[in-house]
Amino acid sequence: MGDILALTVEHLMLSAAGVGLALVVGIPLAILITRYRTLAGFTMAVTDVLQTIPSMALLAALMIYLGLGNQTLVVTLMIYSLLPIVRNTYTGITGIDKGLIEAGKGMGMTRWQLLRMVQIPVALPVIMAGIRVAMVTAIGIATLGVLIGGGGLGAPIWRGMQIVDSSMILSGAIPAALIAILCEFGLAKLEKAVTPRGMKASSPAKS
Amino acid sequence: MVKFKNVVKAYENHVAVKNLNLEIPEGELVVLIGPSGCGKTTTLKMVNRLIEPTSGSIFIRDRNVKDLNPVALRREIGYVIQQIGLFPNMTIEQNIDVVPRLLGWPAEKRKRRVYELLEMVGMDPEIYAHRYPNELSGGQQQRIGVLRALAAEPPLILMDEPFGALDPIARESLQDELKNLHSRLNITTIFVTHDMDEALKLADRVVVMNQGEVVQVATPETLLRNPANDFVASFIGKNRLNGDSLQSVVEIMLPDPVTVHPQMGLAEGLALMKRKKVDTVLVVDEQRRLLGSVAVETLDREHKRARTIGEIMNQDPPLTTIRSQASAKEAFDLIIGEKLKYLPVLDENDVLVGLVTRNSMVSALASAVWGDVGE
Repeated sequence: MGDILALTVEHLMLSAAGVGLALVVGIPLAILITRYRTLAGFTMAVTDVLQTIPSMALLAALMIYLGLGNQTLVVTLMIYSLLPIVRNTYTGITGIDKGLIEAGKGMGMTRWQLLRMVQIPVALPVIMAGIRVAMVTAIGIATLGVLIGGGGLGAPIWRGMQIVDSSMILSGAIPAALIAILCEFGLAKLEKAVTPRGMKASSPAKS
Repeated sequence: MVKFKNVVKAYENHVAVKNLNLEIPEGELVVLIGPSGCGKTTTLKMVNRLIEPTSGSIFIRDRNVKDLNPVALRREIGYVIQQIGLFPNMTIEQNIDVVPRLLGWPAEKRKRRVYELLEMVGMDPEIYAHRYPNELSGGQQQRIGVLRALAAEPPLILMDEPFGALDPIARESLQDELKNLHSRLNITTIFVTHDMDEALKLADRVVVMNQGEVVQVATPETLLRNPANDFVASFIGKNRLNGDSLQSVVEIMLPDPVTVHPQMGLAEGLALMKRKKVDTVLVVDEQRRLLGSVAVETLDREHKRARTIGEIMNQDPPLTTIRSQASAKEAFDLIIGEKLKYLPVLDENDVLVGLVTRNSMVSALASAVWGDVGE
């Protein structure tokens, strides 16, 4: 039981590390392509293609270059997290009412101030939704990490499959499903929390 | 305060602004008006460098804006846009004090300023400061939009069709408020609109633009009385007729007054007047240009000495006339104020187009009040 708990924590950490890396890479990338729109189509196409590679194939291919171990798993998770994060950040920022941008610019905000004071806060709910999707996907894919020598809840599942031990399989599968559900729930809460009050659906007086 | 010198803005396949020269004195509220695509918004946005001119210079208080940092420049200029553009993630207070915050004012001073501004437009700060934009009506939102532009006490405000998206009642009350604020604070204001009523109501001076050129710069009064050309006249007319009824003098005149030529004999004239039951006729030449008038008493008095109308016309005091572009109200004022019996309406070539009489005035008024009531 202690093992399972340790594996669950490890699984969560690996998934979070992959998503975290994707955030570090993906958000600046998304912001960059909102400024250089010609790059946007290309970037989106690349992240789209990466997403379609079967996860087993991607793991194996990366293993050739990065070797066995958690580093390969984390990089794989990052790649899969990139698409929802880049796409949501991009559409979140480009979808903002042009009037807000014009107002901010016209009042003398620098590009950075506009980003920090207006674009990111207003796009934040959409960005958060992307992170949520990325996290849940990552938790699922991380169970394959065992195949390339990674840790996490893939180990009991894989071992259970080989010795046909259903309780061992479930001891990995159930916690994996649970943390996916918990993350989904927790991040949904967080998404709501970061939505400014002024942007929530109910608005008593609007003309 | 603001000076445009030979300003041109050309795009690849059209010229938005052609060689603009315009000077706006300190404290004036100038309205740029014209049909869409006339270059009025482009002109406005070149002032705070949201658009850069192709050539020419713009000066604010004798500083060429090209030499100023655009970000610093914009913080010195209030900016109000049609889409309102309040930030939904910020409270009303935070929205109003964006520019003071960018300028690094201390928190206490910012708060004082926000409260002062809200009170100025009769919005209780205790109620509104901590609300969010989506909790206000469109009219209230744009009121905040205007306050936001005023927050850092800029010497100049640019307004780009600020009330265009509002309902008529909100628009009216914001116009009143702006007029009020302007006369109180005397901030130089450049206001873009395509609504002539709005322009005439707000402007110290109206700049009429068409196809990238300034067509006329005049006070509302002069613009109405002496439109520079047909374009201005039709732009005034068209827009003035859109609004309430009885906007133009044309609507209250008789379109076909009784006229005579100067060669007409007196007896013939007298018979005509009897037949038409009028006590005065207007004398016109072949082109229907107004020459004068003859009253029935004059005709009666002179019929022994003279033979044609031409010999006796204009014995009465000179005629007061009005241009066909004038407003109905001006005609009313003239007739009532100068105790005229009638007021000939002339177009720009002095051709007689109609006649306003007390009778035609009253029946136009009546039909405005009760709908069409016949002749």
